[in-house]
Amino acid sequence: MDESVRNLNEGVMGWAKFYRKGWNYFAFAMHRFSGLVIVFYLYLHLFVLSHLLSGPVTYNELVKTVTFGPFDSFLVLDVLLALVIFYHGANGTRLALNEFGIGLQKNKAMFIVFEAIAMVILGVFLYYAYMFIGAS
Amino acid sequence: MDEYTVEIKRTDVDGKTRMQTFKVPKDKVSTVLETLLYIKGYLDQTLTFRYSCGMEICGSCGMEINGKPHMACSFVLDNFKGDKILIEPLKHFKILRDLAVDIDPFFDKYKAVKPYVIRNDDGNYQKELLQTPKQFDEYIDYSMCIKCGLCMAACPIEGSDENYLGPAPLTAAWRFIADNRDQGKKMRLEIVSGAEGASRCHFAGECTEVCPKGVNPSFAIQKLRSSMIGLEFQKLFGGK
Amino acid sequence: MENENKYGITKRPMGSISRMFQAGSGLFLIFFLGVHLYVAHIDFGHPVQFFNQVIQNLRNPWWLLFFIVFVWIITYHALNGVGNIVKDTNIGEKGRSYLNIALIVIYFATSIYGTILSIVVAGMAI
Repeated sequence: MDESVRNLNEGVMGWAKFYRKGWNYFAFAMHRFSGLVIVFYLYLHLFVLSHLLSGPVTYNELVKTVTFGPFDSFLVLDVLLALVIFYHGANGTRLALNEFGIGLQKNKAMFIVFEAIAMVILGVFLYYAYMFIGAS
Repeated sequence: MDEYTVEIKRTDVDGKTRMQTFKVPKDKVSTVLETLLYIKGYLDQTLTFRYSCGMEICGSCGMEINGKPHMACSFVLDNFKGDKILIEPLKHFKILRDLAVDIDPFFDKYKAVKPYVIRNDDGNYQKELLQTPKQFDEYIDYSMCIKCGLCMAACPIEGSDENYLGPAPLTAAWRFIADNRDQGKKMRLEIVSGAEGASRCHFAGECTEVCPKGVNPSFAIQKLRSSMIGLEFQKLFGGK
Repeated sequence: MENENKYGITKRPMGSISRMFQAGSGLFLIFFLGVHLYVAHIDFGHPVQFFNQVIQNLRNPWWLLFFIVFVWIITYHALNGVGNIVKDTNIGEKGRSYLNIALIVIYFATSIYGTILSIVVAGMAI
């Protein structure tokens, strides 16, 4: 092949271009994206928990700033985090079942059902987890 | 509107791309392939594309229609709402010119999984190798593949790593493993269990979605995976 | 044929086993994370656990064990996932082996740190 031939290989950015490519592509790309977000949070979480070592005052201060203020806008990020975790969990359950050979014929229905269940649980979770907002 | 606005991504021999728009009367064409033939016949005879049978058997006319891989011959415009049609060459393939892509790398991958019946004996038989209907059903779905390459264009892993074997070759591997006349299971499993093989699939399932013949490559890959496990454990503990 | 080498025989293929482990650990994590979210955010009516509650939880050896196992499994799942993503970007044979080494190092660093952290924290005074 000479150089004049162009390669249409999309590369990594192709994952992000899921417009018109179908829900499979969307599920795939979002699974990767949400996974990376969760890994980032995992290390952030470990960093926050490391403050336990510096004693109750430091830790409680840190935790209070991001929940009761002045940085309580972090709670919005928390909601988004919960969203990607629940998405990743639901889609991951489907993929794990696929791995064991279950439901490969009805992938789309499984995706929708699992995501719907996950979003309902997410709603319930957020309702209970954020009850303190009105209380304080 | 009684005309389709057909936008085609064209590539010349120097690799320059441009979008060209054509107006095609609706009453003259019924499929995308006919649209292309109309354009070639009446509007621009330099348009290059590959086709042969026009009835979804040869697997030549795969292209991206409105952003998704389709066979041009079986994309019926009656079922299509709207007047704008966007036609691009298949993704993840090298463009030769306009809509014609280089499918040699795809066939090289296809050949790599040894897509033929392998026998341990000398191959001289007095009568045919018998098969029950049940044994036939095991693989017949996968043998429907027409090697059009749509699944390769739809696969997200293929898009980021051209070395990955891809859905169609892996399906071919399973098609012959599932065939009771074949005895080359171990040989094929060793190929597909490699670093570029079946374990790279992440079940996006896009291949199954776009397949014009209803082959289910992701199911075949799952079957391959579960067959691979035994071999992998064997090798892990020093077996051959 | 040049592809003979590229799609040749791998000495120790682990692909399928690793995918099974990824799927299995993922299913475990659904359970672990479910318990964790319930205990840490819902069960006691506060938004977050403060210092004393964390320590009190960790003093129970079963909870300690739970969190240590949690750390080991979630780190495995996370790094294996990241590895799978990076390997899909055509980094070549050499890149893959470097990546594997890097991931193993990060894995042990993270999980051992997590284990030590939880044990030390469990021993702290309230």
